[in-house]
Amino acid sequence: MRLREIFRFELGYQLRRVPTWLYVAFLAFVAFVWTGENYLAYARNGDFFFGAPFVVAEVTVVLCVFWMLVAAYVAGDAAARDVETGMHPLTYTTPVRKADYLGGRFLAAFVLNALILLAVLAGILLAVHAPGVEAEIRGPFRPAAYLTAYAFIALPNAFVATAIQFSFAALRRRAIASYLGGVLLLVTAFVLFLLLERDVGQLLDPLGLIAIDDLRSKWTPIELNTRLMALEGWWLANRLLWLGIALGTLAVTHFRFRLSHHTATPCWSRISRRRDAHSPTPAASGILGNTPVSVPQVRRTFGFRAHARQTLAIAWKSFGNIAKSRGGLLLLAVVAIFALVSVDPGHMGVPLLPRADHVLHGLVDPGVPPAYLIIPLLIVFCSAELVWREREASLSEIVDAAPVPEWVLFLGRFLGLGLVLALCMVLRMMAGVLHQVGRGYYDLEVGLYLQILFGLQLADYLLLALLALVVHVVVNQKHVGHLVVLLIFVAIIAAYGNGIGHHLLVYGSDPGWSYTDMRGFGPSLGPWLWFNLYWTAWALLLALVARLLWVRGNEEGLGVRLRVARRRFTRPTAWAASAAVGLILTSGGFIFYNTNVLNEYGTASDDMERRAEYERRYGEYEGIPQPRLTGTNLHVEIHPERRAVDIRGTYRLVNGSAVPIDSVHLASEVDPGEVDFDRPATGVLVDELLGHRIYALKEPLQPGDSLRLDFEAHIEPRGFRYRGVDNSVVANGTYFTNRWLPAIGYQPSRELSSAGARRLHGLPPRPAIPSLDDAQARLDMTGTERIAFEAVVSTDEGQIAVAPGALIRTWTEGGRRYFHYSTDAPIGNEYAFFSADYAVHEGRWNDVAIQIFHHPGHTANLERMVRSVRASLGHYTERFGPYPYGHIRLVEHPGHGLGMHAEANTIDYEEGFSLLNPGDGPRGLDLPFYVVAHEVAHQWWGAQLIPARVEGAGVLVESLASYSAYQVVEESYGPEHLRRLLGRLRMAYQVPRTHAAVPLLRANDAFLYYRKGPFALYALSQYIGAERVNDALRRLLEEHGSGAPPLPTSLDLYRELQAVTPDSLQHLLHDLFEANTFWELGIEQATAEQTEAGTWQVILDVRARKVVVDTAGVETEVPMDDWVEVGVFAPVEESEQSGEPLYMRMHRVRSTEQTITVTVPRKPAHAGIDPYHLLIDLEMGDNIEEVKIEI
Amino acid sequence: MKLHIRGVSKTYSNGVQALKNVTLTIPAGMYGLLGPNGAGKSTLMRMIATLQEPDEGRIRLGDIDVLEQKAEVRKTLGYLPQEFGVYPKVSAEKLLDHFALLKGIAERRARKEVVEALLRQTNLWEVRKQKLGGYSGGMKQRFGVAVALLGNPQLMIVDEPTAGLDPAERVRFLNLLSELGENSVVLLSTHIVEDVSELCTRMAIIDEGEILLEAEPLPAVEELNGKIWGRVISKEDLARLEREHVVISTKLFAGRTVARVYADAAPGPDFEPAEPDLEDVYFSTIAGHLGRRRVQPDPAPAS
Repeated sequence: MRLREIFRFELGYQLRRVPTWLYVAFLAFVAFVWTGENYLAYARNGDFFFGAPFVVAEVTVVLCVFWMLVAAYVAGDAAARDVETGMHPLTYTTPVRKADYLGGRFLAAFVLNALILLAVLAGILLAVHAPGVEAEIRGPFRPAAYLTAYAFIALPNAFVATAIQFSFAALRRRAIASYLGGVLLLVTAFVLFLLLERDVGQLLDPLGLIAIDDLRSKWTPIELNTRLMALEGWWLANRLLWLGIALGTLAVTHFRFRLSHHTATPCWSRISRRRDAHSPTPAASGILGNTPVSVPQVRRTFGFRAHARQTLAIAWKSFGNIAKSRGGLLLLAVVAIFALVSVDPGHMGVPLLPRADHVLHGLVDPGVPPAYLIIPLLIVFCSAELVWREREASLSEIVDAAPVPEWVLFLGRFLGLGLVLALCMVLRMMAGVLHQVGRGYYDLEVGLYLQILFGLQLADYLLLALLALVVHVVVNQKHVGHLVVLLIFVAIIAAYGNGIGHHLLVYGSDPGWSYTDMRGFGPSLGPWLWFNLYWTAWALLLALVARLLWVRGNEEGLGVRLRVARRRFTRPTAWAASAAVGLILTSGGFIFYNTNVLNEYGTASDDMERRAEYERRYGEYEGIPQPRLTGTNLHVEIHPERRAVDIRGTYRLVNGSAVPIDSVHLASEVDPGEVDFDRPATGVLVDELLGHRIYALKEPLQPGDSLRLDFEAHIEPRGFRYRGVDNSVVANGTYFTNRWLPAIGYQPSRELSSAGARRLHGLPPRPAIPSLDDAQARLDMTGTERIAFEAVVSTDEGQIAVAPGALIRTWTEGGRRYFHYSTDAPIGNEYAFFSADYAVHEGRWNDVAIQIFHHPGHTANLERMVRSVRASLGHYTERFGPYPYGHIRLVEHPGHGLGMHAEANTIDYEEGFSLLNPGDGPRGLDLPFYVVAHEVAHQWWGAQLIPARVEGAGVLVESLASYSAYQVVEESYGPEHLRRLLGRLRMAYQVPRTHAAVPLLRANDAFLYYRKGPFALYALSQYIGAERVNDALRRLLEEHGSGAPPLPTSLDLYRELQAVTPDSLQHLLHDLFEANTFWELGIEQATAEQTEAGTWQVILDVRARKVVVDTAGVETEVPMDDWVEVGVFAPVEESEQSGEPLYMRMHRVRSTEQTITVTVPRKPAHAGIDPYHLLIDLEMGDNIEEVKIEI
Repeated sequence: MKLHIRGVSKTYSNGVQALKNVTLTIPAGMYGLLGPNGAGKSTLMRMIATLQEPDEGRIRLGDIDVLEQKAEVRKTLGYLPQEFGVYPKVSAEKLLDHFALLKGIAERRARKEVVEALLRQTNLWEVRKQKLGGYSGGMKQRFGVAVALLGNPQLMIVDEPTAGLDPAERVRFLNLLSELGENSVVLLSTHIVEDVSELCTRMAIIDEGEILLEAEPLPAVEELNGKIWGRVISKEDLARLEREHVVISTKLFAGRTVARVYADAAPGPDFEPAEPDLEDVYFSTIAGHLGRRRVQPDPAPAS
């Protein structure tokens, strides 16, 4: 009965308070906005219904995180209000039992939170049924979706989180501990997820974040629209586990909680020996005055110096309060853990050289959400502590009456918080340095750490910290202040992340900075400094506001505070305020001038509008006959210091069509200046904004005739742009492509491709990629030009400029260095220019010169890159055809990326690639070797063989390149190494993914091009022999390598493969390429027995199944009667990775279960069906089993 | 119903020994516990109020073992602590009603009557709907009294109750307490000697965790009859006086220092006989001239 009363009273108390309703409003609002922001576009695209059950579920899960942070005080107050207000001696001495007291409070908190979470559902409902949403994308209204989301996600989450928060607050006797409990819950889930296997991680995820993340990728489109989150399988286990943990925590709290007076004992004194008992030092009995104690007379100083010292004292004390408190230590530990975790361990199992710029890149910009949120969350906690701790301890009145000006009190706290943030930076630095030293890399570049962590990052965090403090001071109510700070942070992060709002309007935002080893900071520091100067001026203004509105004493009403503020507005304050305002106006004005006047200000939606407008106005010119580019001649002057490029160019065009052409269309991103033709022509249309020009020729160009046009392009930055600096032309590490040069004809690539975007702009729907059956698309020759290229590139004297073509000669003149390049065979119309202070590493294969242009010092992989190029050139020339050029170049340019990119006789890579460090020796997987081989293969697949732009085109380019590279790896390192590489690549299958997909021939995404395609080709090569597959590829190249229409598609590849595949295996070809087939193969059990002859007989119980999945996700089982490899292996020896195969042969395997018996010469250890995973089986763990020896 | 405290000791973990083997028997009626700050009064009060545990010793209220049967004690306990707070956003009436329910007054009509009676008794009826956050110190104290009085407790622990009250409030409060003393054990802990002398029928003096004296106020005062002498003295002479005589206390009266001295006979010509009061008993006990701290039966004057 008492429990009911305690429950009723607490519930009533909190329901009557304003903050509770603010939480409701906040969560409803965020749910509304979140749903719209994240799902409407996809729904418009047709991916799923806007009101689909899984949308409701996902939004509920994410909002639970918000709820946990925002409404922390609900549980915290319920648990700790008695102690914090000091009412506990009255409450604890009533005859109420511990169970009733804790139970009543907890239940009230839980019910409150459950009610608050209803606001989330309300927000989602409002978003789905909002007036601006088209009815057809909404989908049917299913109450079950909301009920299941609430019952299976929100309620259990509420119970678990409330239990944890309540326990923390009850045992620590402070309400703010509940916020820490919530943060800890988030962090634990995240860290466990990172460290453990995905399946176990799912179980340990308290809020269901990981679970939901998988759903979107795993479910088929039908499921996305209709399936409800059900309590089954591991999800049920997860909920039960966490309910158990919550109950356990509550039990522990009940056990440890005492309805008694609490003496604050620091835990170390409980551990250490009890000191000898002694009486309290006797107060002088008061009567006998005895020795009169004279307090020495000291002089008191008030003045700036004294105030400065007081400020520093308060700063040090604030820092100590936080750093020594349990909550502060906990958060600092979390910061340290995240720092250690976010330092990049490697890529695909290959360790990365811990170069300082890359390590810092990982520390500063960790890819995973909770990691970059941890310091803002810490700021939320610290700002509340710093402003409210003193008031809660009732010290504030004494302090308020002391002769200390408000600015000292505020500035001291701010500096204290700054010290905490600096400590966080120290922790990050230590994590980075430890990582480097742990890898044996001693070039620490401490100066860079200091610049980036303590200069750039700390500045950003200090701005946030100041804002949080100001909010707490101005709002002057603990719960509402907490809510407002979280709200503002969420708004800032959301705006920054989505690019909404000008950087001048979003507090603390700036266009960002970048640092790489090659480029340094480049031009990115300038704008960053200007923006931060602007925001620092705002921060100063905010600090002044805080100082004016600082509550001193007991007057909390707004009217009184404004009056006091007016009185506090002294001359120095006025000076400071005007200085701040002046700084805001000047820096803001300068920034605005740069971003909006000197440059164009455009948001992402402006871009999309422009692209839509381009299509609307000029789409009619698509596909009209236009002259084709046959030759390009350029004079390029690169000025790295000025970040400018001057280009003068000449195009040679030919009318390759059957009709005369009377107008030439130019599409350009950069103003081509005065365009001159070698015959009379007039400019009919010059559209500067959309970048399209039409020139009418006086005399139409006859079929077969050629045409010359001259143009210019000048690129020079004016000030800085809103979107951040363009790093194409920089002091060291210039890299730009030919997209600055004009293109001929209407450019369909500029159109909007996503269905939702098209619908939004009123454009007719169009498939993103033309269908495989589209015969017209095979004749579309846009983008397939082969040109003769010649260029004279000049740059600063100390640098080397690289362009396609053989280097004819180089000379120095007038302080600049000139390079004359000319291609010895036609190249595609996609190429790049580079200029930097390069070192060159040379090599040779037959008469092809191999050159690697790299940043001095990035030498770890040069040898293996050259080896790979030589092996690849040799292999491909022999199998597929000659390499047309006399040279091949690999060029490094600035960036943190780890990949490579191929264009005409050049392969370029970002600095991150140079960090791949496989190490020496056979154990290390030589990933760089493979990647280089893949890129060299593109000189055949993609450069010589250009596919039609239809579905499946990626197979002809990427799958063939990958497959070819596999061959090179196998040739150079052996089949074992290749299998290890494939094992790594196959891990992409572990990423949750829906089974629904198009067949390989119609491939339309990266997974199919880069993984499934090459695996299919490799599997085929293992079945029919690599020679046959290579023959098919060579025939394909011979047929279509000329580039004449009709362009090849995946069907041509399929035809060639069919020609080389024996009849008995045609079905395999069909299963791999024409259908979306999955095999489910596994060994039930494997036993072995020694025969009299001394050999061993192995009996395998095998189960097999084959299904075909269509694009909607419907699975159909098909009867299986396929050849599948069966293998038996010996035990693993010391130096091996896996056991030697004792038996490896194809067997016919039918559906369901069967037994296979084989004989092997030696004692077997493992046996497997399709042990090398040639056939696509998502459940790879059950293919191999240990052999049980029977005596 | 008597409260028996036997051999209670407590040492805090920072080494401070708050109570040393305290033994007391407290009958029904007003019992005063007198002692300086830091004597251990609050610690002892909290122990009896079931909020703290002693290291050794037993406390019994009638048949109830206070330490083992806390729930039983709380059924009949009224505790007014030295320091306490209240929820600022709730009204006195509502919070008192809540406490009434917690204290076991389940029936709504009875509860309403009790709440009204107590609010009137503590003179808070007019402001019963105001939020407690706006109460003055005295009003808050009166609210605490109302809570303590809920349910007619048989054991009333009152810790430094008059410290924050103005003279009128103090008188009213003491009147209120005296009405209680009929059938319940009322333990009043204070450092204000007048409270004890005005109200209590029995008292104990505690210092440094030890009980120095258990007595009844009037007889204790009478024992000092003829042994207290007063003299006006200047500050410089005070030191010499302390060496020569047993000085119990010095007071300021109209700007001059008056020393009171303990002696069996007039110690000197400047001394006048003074009427002893409870304060003298208190100071003498603390200084070690009376009670258990006494080393010799009589103080020997220095020669």
